[in-house]
Amino acid sequence: MQSSMSRRSLEEMATRRDRSGSLWLVQAFSGLLLVLILGAHMIAHHFIVEGGLRDYQQVLDYVANPFVFIIEIVFVITATAHALLGARAIVLDLRPSAATMRVVNWVLVAVGAVAIGYGLWLAVALQRAAGA
Amino acid sequence: MTERDIEFKVFRYKQGGAAPAHQTFTVRCDENTTVLVALQDIRRDQDGTLILRHSCHHASCGTCGMRINGREELACVVKVFELGTPTVVVEPMRNMPVISDLVVDMEPFYDRFNAAGMPFIRESEYLEEAEVAEGLETYMRCENCIECNLCVSACPIMGTDPTYIGPAALAATWRVVEEPRGLDSRPLLDWVDSQNGCWRCHVAYECNEACPSGVLPGDKIMSLRRELTKRKFRRLFGR
Amino acid sequence: MDNIQPTTDPVRPKAPLRSWFDVRGRSLSTLAFALNRLTAIGLTIYLFLHLAVLSLLLRGPEGWDQFVALAKNPAFLLLDVVLLFGVVYHMANGIRVALVGMGVAHTRQKSLFYVLVGIALVAFVVGAVLIFVE
Ligand code: SF4
Ligand code: SF4
Ligand code: FES
Repeated sequence: MQSSMSRRSLEEMATRRDRSGSLWLVQAFSGLLLVLILGAHMIAHHFIVEGGLRDYQQVLDYVANPFVFIIEIVFVITATAHALLGARAIVLDLRPSAATMRVVNWVLVAVGAVAIGYGLWLAVALQRAAGA
Repeated sequence: MTERDIEFKVFRYKQGGAAPAHQTFTVRCDENTTVLVALQDIRRDQDGTLILRHSCHHASCGTCGMRINGREELACVVKVFELGTPTVVVEPMRNMPVISDLVVDMEPFYDRFNAAGMPFIRESEYLEEAEVAEGLETYMRCENCIECNLCVSACPIMGTDPTYIGPAALAATWRVVEEPRGLDSRPLLDWVDSQNGCWRCHVAYECNEACPSGVLPGDKIMSLRRELTKRKFRRLFGR
Repeated sequence: MDNIQPTTDPVRPKAPLRSWFDVRGRSLSTLAFALNRLTAIGLTIYLFLHLAVLSLLLRGPEGWDQFVALAKNPAFLLLDVVLLFGVVYHMANGIRVALVGMGVAHTRQKSLFYVLVGIALVAFVVGAVLIFVE
């Protein structure tokens, strides 16, 4: 087949590649992971324990379990990443300028860092409170 | 043969003219009347200023795309009676500048094909004995796609971001990747591995529904993504 | 894509909200997409609220138990039902979008939708009943 494509346009096209595909894959896999974790999280929190919502001491005992501790930490990181990548996709569909998008990216990274940091801190603090 | 009067609510707009509005015409139709024929009747008998675009009358040139009762259709193959509505609403395609009445500016659509250097245009398997028209070297065709723009009109993402490459051009890109015939398809894959490329699609599959020619652009976009996903994993594991 | 002409339409300027959420005359998959986006926004807001509420735990039993008492009133439980719907729908459709979007089973995306969302709806009804029974 004869192609009407010139060398130059081929090189031009190759420069279009960006990270959006990888970001989407992170979004997809974090989503699939969340299905597993969140399924466990919801069932454990609300349906297994008699009476659903547990009282203060029950919650502390629950997070004191090291297995739960790890799951909750993975959950905070995955959920935050998934949510913020989703937010980014929505913003992208609003046709932001390149400059706006740069700001948005930074804001999202900052929000994510704060949320994850806070989540970790909370988990550790609760662990301590439970141990005390 | 049964005949009935059908009302057509037709979108009217002239550039620089009054705000767009719908105008109602009544046309006598029978079971063979297509929307395109009814519109031509209106143009001939009632209002010569009604502008529309068509050529082949049999779903192969892709020029008569428009929205009929809100759905993307080729007007030449939609029979009025089969719609089953007493009033038929006829509007131009979405996501394109309207030039006049039912005609949209197709340039953005072709630009997308040109941006890919039109590598997906192939030699047509025309009859050996057919003479090639003057000024042409050979006949070319673009696979199943009849370049009607209906998928672009139906796509909700196209509706918010005009820089999206869009279903038709992505589907065409997949054809090259699927069957490169000696062409290096990597630059094309790079091109669609981007924010405005196949990752932009949100799997709404309106394009599949809209396509009158069996291209299934949505499926093709997902095929591209499978290819790119494989490529990314291969890179991740350093292969 | 700077060499591509924008498809700016002077007659019908694009409104993103309409483009995403106006499902009239659209197919099932657009409805799926619109719902996905809607639940996504809701769940994101919920996630951050949820994280914030958990800090009550650090203020000792009083603050927490007060909150739990509040959370048990019927209006709150209704919100829980809405939340549950958001979660199960977003999960089910999300699995479909993740698979299809990677080109897995993409030619059967519709059946995938019916099966997954069907399971989600059953889970939702069961969950909703449980919320009120308890
Ligand atoms: S599947 Fe993708 S390209 Fe097709 S209509 Fe939906 S968003 Fe647009
Ligand atoms: S892919 Fe289908 S709907 Fe889109 S332009 Fe080609 S023939 Fe028309
Ligand atoms: S007139 Fe050619 S496709 Fe309708």
